[in-house]
Amino acid sequence: MDDVLILGEVKEGSLDARSLELLGIGKKLAEDLRSKLSILVLGDSPANAAAEASSYGPAKVYSVTHSLLKDFQPELWLAALEQACQEIKPAVFLMSHSFMGRELGPRLACRLGARLTTDCIDLTIDPQDKLVLRTKPVSGGNAIAVFKCPGPVQMATVRAKVFSPVERTEGAAEIAEIGVQIDQNLAKVTSLEIVKEEVVALDKADVVVSGGAGLGEEEGFELLEDLRKALSKSFGSVMIGCSRVAVDKGWISSDHQVGLTGTMISPDIYVAVGISGAIQHLVGMVHSKKIIAINTDPSCNMFKVADYGIVEDYEKIIPALITKLEDLS
Amino acid sequence: MTERHIIVCAKQIPDPEAPLSDVSVDAENKEVVVDAPQVISPFDENALEAALRLTEDLDGRITVLSLGKKLSDTVLRKVLAAGADELILLQDDAFDKLDSHSVALALADAIRKIGEYDLILTGRQAGDWDSGQVGLLLAEILSLPCINLAREIEITGANVIVKKAHPLGFERVQAPMPALVTVSNEVGELRYISRTKMLKMLRGASSIPTWTMADFVSEKDRLQKMDIIELSSPPDMGRDCQFLDGATPNEMAEKLALVFRELK
Amino acid sequence: MAPQRMMFWQIDHVWLFYLLAALASSLFFAGIALHLLVWKKNAGSLKLPFSKAAFSRMILDTFLGRRIFKGEPAAGLMHLLIFWGFLLLLIGTTILAVHHYLFTFLTGTPYLVFSIAMEVAGIMLTVGIIWALIRRYIQRVPRLERSLEDITVPIWVLLVGLSGFALEGLRLSYDQPAWGGWSFAGGWIGALFSAAIAEAVYPAFWWGHTLLSLSLIAVIPFTKLFHILGAPASIYLQGLEKSVSSDFDENAGEFNLGDSVFFDACMRCGRCVAVCPSAGAKEPFAPRDFIQAMRRSLWQAHSPFGDIRFLFRDEKGEVDKNFWYCTTCRACLEVCPVYGASFESVIKKRMFAIEEGTQVPKLLNQTLEKLARYDNPWESSKKQRGAWAKDLQLPDLTRKGVDANLCYFVGCTTSFDDTAQGIARSLAKILDIAGISFGILGKKEPCCGDIARRVGELGLFHEQMDNCLDLFDRYGITEVVTSSPHCFHTFRNEYPEAPFRARHYTLLLHEMLANGQLRFREQEKTKVTYHDPCYLGRHNRIFDEPRHIIRSIPGIELVEMAHHRENSLCCGGGGGRMWQDLPSEVKMSEIRIREAEATGAKILVTACPLCRIMLEDARKATGLNETLRVMDLNELVLQALASDNADV
Repeated sequence: MDDVLILGEVKEGSLDARSLELLGIGKKLAEDLRSKLSILVLGDSPANAAAEASSYGPAKVYSVTHSLLKDFQPELWLAALEQACQEIKPAVFLMSHSFMGRELGPRLACRLGARLTTDCIDLTIDPQDKLVLRTKPVSGGNAIAVFKCPGPVQMATVRAKVFSPVERTEGAAEIAEIGVQIDQNLAKVTSLEIVKEEVVALDKADVVVSGGAGLGEEEGFELLEDLRKALSKSFGSVMIGCSRVAVDKGWISSDHQVGLTGTMISPDIYVAVGISGAIQHLVGMVHSKKIIAINTDPSCNMFKVADYGIVEDYEKIIPALITKLEDLS
Repeated sequence: MTERHIIVCAKQIPDPEAPLSDVSVDAENKEVVVDAPQVISPFDENALEAALRLTEDLDGRITVLSLGKKLSDTVLRKVLAAGADELILLQDDAFDKLDSHSVALALADAIRKIGEYDLILTGRQAGDWDSGQVGLLLAEILSLPCINLAREIEITGANVIVKKAHPLGFERVQAPMPALVTVSNEVGELRYISRTKMLKMLRGASSIPTWTMADFVSEKDRLQKMDIIELSSPPDMGRDCQFLDGATPNEMAEKLALVFRELK
Repeated sequence: MAPQRMMFWQIDHVWLFYLLAALASSLFFAGIALHLLVWKKNAGSLKLPFSKAAFSRMILDTFLGRRIFKGEPAAGLMHLLIFWGFLLLLIGTTILAVHHYLFTFLTGTPYLVFSIAMEVAGIMLTVGIIWALIRRYIQRVPRLERSLEDITVPIWVLLVGLSGFALEGLRLSYDQPAWGGWSFAGGWIGALFSAAIAEAVYPAFWWGHTLLSLSLIAVIPFTKLFHILGAPASIYLQGLEKSVSSDFDENAGEFNLGDSVFFDACMRCGRCVAVCPSAGAKEPFAPRDFIQAMRRSLWQAHSPFGDIRFLFRDEKGEVDKNFWYCTTCRACLEVCPVYGASFESVIKKRMFAIEEGTQVPKLLNQTLEKLARYDNPWESSKKQRGAWAKDLQLPDLTRKGVDANLCYFVGCTTSFDDTAQGIARSLAKILDIAGISFGILGKKEPCCGDIARRVGELGLFHEQMDNCLDLFDRYGITEVVTSSPHCFHTFRNEYPEAPFRARHYTLLLHEMLANGQLRFREQEKTKVTYHDPCYLGRHNRIFDEPRHIIRSIPGIELVEMAHHRENSLCCGGGGGRMWQDLPSEVKMSEIRIREAEATGAKILVTACPLCRIMLEDARKATGLNETLRVMDLNELVLQALASDNADV
């Protein structure tokens, strides 16, 4: 009890990368609270993930196995989590601000009598009352707020790619199995079908070439696609991104949108072409390792967060760039 | 055919799309100040649009609830101009800066006072605090089937069928009504409300029912304010930009190509 | 026997003729009545004021066919032949009836004169119709359609005419009167038949001709032939004064009597399509298709039989969504033979759509919301409105004690757009150099309401108009000069009884030039061309002043593009299109910039901020950056001013 508990997510049998980031921040909180760090994994066969988790340094790994946890049915997961928490009695419970976390977090908090803060970018312990101080962006990124909430369990969902993931450690933690009683009747919402769509996994890209209003027209994305192909030869996965304006104009689908209401990414290189840098967009990519901006307006916000900038019409730069990249390779 | 009753929760907030030069952070009062007229939170407008589309095909009635400290007729009558049947303002100083859980408790009380309903629609998150919890909490408190992040909503018989976001693409789910659905912008932009319609609504004879805390909240002690320790402007994300110059675009492009080669 | 017409020769059962005639007349009048019914149900009342000007225009256009000659002499002549041929034959038949039933007078010389006239008329009609068919089906003039109605009707008329000649020929062949040579055409046909055959076939031919002509009369209201009555009606109605009321008229979006008559008078001639920049850019919009769709919907709403044009059932796709493409450039009205302002009908349809709400394109929805909230469609803060002038220290007319003779109304686009701000700075400098006292409204400057008006948001327009009028009143502003022709047009034409005078800056500069307040230095020899903005040129007939200014600059040579003055090609920024993103194969602005390139000019001069932006973007998009520059007239003038202060 009094653990700092992390909800680990399992993707295709193994532990999701975000869980490692959670372990990172969890470890720090556990140290500050002088308590244990533990991680909880659920599923129909989480053994693999549990074993993986145990090698990343938590004090304990809790595992819940149940056939009904194969797919994500929120009501069943909530019931399982509630029961697991009754046994574990954590002091702090962190989840990723992921598709699952967004739904499970608030609903579980309600059941546990806790107050949750979503999408946190920093978590620290208040030395006075040992409560968790939750830092999150508000007002579309225009301000940063720090909240404190009372309650038996301190809960938060954490933004991806903000905290550093933990490294593997020597040894393995103990894996404890927790039994839960759940049955299908608990689920009042039934899934009729899941349809796969071609989802652009922007957050997995190494390099993102992104276009905005400054492209002037839909055809601008064709030029960016040429650049993308050229860069693909030297870099791992290169994808196309965009600002919300480009989606609004109908030039590209919202899958490619980078920003607060799109995808938050931090690739190795982010190339912003014709994007002025409104705050809602910046918060989505500002943590990229290197940012390159091409824009005709020297005073635009994007140059203020870029490592390299070119003040020129992209239609003049991109074709020449592609040629030069080919020459150099 | 039975008349369906849909309740939409709409929050009045400072304009999240106001030009940046009109936005400032008041660190002392812990408020984001926007020098522009207030609006209805965008995702809540999507929720209203979803409700309007549902009642186009079915016999239905839409009640909109809005909770806050100081609510504006001008802003909120828009929902009536759009086609909602009733607007109820839940206005009280005590409602200022309540935390998500408390908002959900208060809304639940209001909904219980309203009576029977088939569907509750809320936006997935509000544009001011970006919390994204009230809808989900409301479903928990009222013990309703809950569907999150809807893109399309249909009512068939006694069930609501929702196409919702899913990591792999989308999922189609079904739940018996009464149910609660949180709505994402894919359900559709709120139809355009002409100024004529708005002005008619503003000059409209009937006044809007307004309930204070005493009128409907069952346990006012359970309502807690957000404990905002600090509110600040975002940290400077600035970097030192190295401008790649050149006499011709070709020269600039060449320098950039070299940068890429270095970063490989 | 003296020369006269053999009436009802060999025709038995003449009562049948009267029956058919009665039937045909009934159908004809029923069709007319249906039109009146639909018009009345739509407009509420058929009351018409009398206007001498409208009436005389109607007479001249109807009988001289002036509008049809406009730009196309061949079409004009062809139509004149058909018109006069048909009219004379009609009059002739009437005279014949009077002679037969009332008093006999058509014998002897009068008859010969009559006969020759009929001959000539018949030939005119025949030649005219054949020419029309050649134009439509052999030359295949692009703007002409080739539907079932378009082949059936002319052939029907032709057959009436030819059968009439045939009848005459048959009579002559049989009769062989001494005066027969006067009926030369008939005589020629008559020679083909022997007297015996002529006698035998005459009744059949007669009934044939009778059926054809009576049925032709009957179907006039049921086909495009309705334009015989509809066109003069439309010309008259469109010539009546249109009043602009200051009160918000809830019914402003309803189609009125003039509109419904125009829809019915439309002959689908396609001149509007030929000049429409949207159709020219292959966008899914054409005024003709829109008007026909409106006609159809009006009939479906008000006629107990629906649309009665039984030979024209073509329905072009999605006309009820594509009316957002119209830029309201007025090119259609410029050429329409019945003075139909298709773009005004488009705006009315937009008013419906705005009120209804669900068919408003997403971007427009957002733009109008922003316009209502921030007083400008650019998402820019009101506080930044005067920012373009921050280094210029211009008098702010909203401050106490600040007074000036002239208020420079900058406008939304010029205030906020980077490219367009150059226009404001240039004009400010010019006025300064010339020593003209003027001021600006700075942060308090509202939107004139043009965008709202063009996209059909009448409520918002009235709000913005009231705002503007309030402001001008509060600060005692009586003289206004604008950068944008759109603001100018709105102030001058759509603000009723405005207590201030609004001018576009070209009018002011022209006056300054005449007063000797502008002196130009000799410029390096440069060829320039001038793009007439739609709202300055076509809408307000200001073509000469900008040209005069340009020509007054020594060294500058003005060359004209293929489409200039009232035929200017729209840049695509008007009608609210600047704030939408409608997909099209080719951009209008790119078509225009290539016209500019074709003149060999180095500079394309324009006098509107929207044109300035659209053409600048087109210049970049087509890669003409090296060879062509786009400048606003202000920028050109500033460059040429003889003064030490003039630095661009």
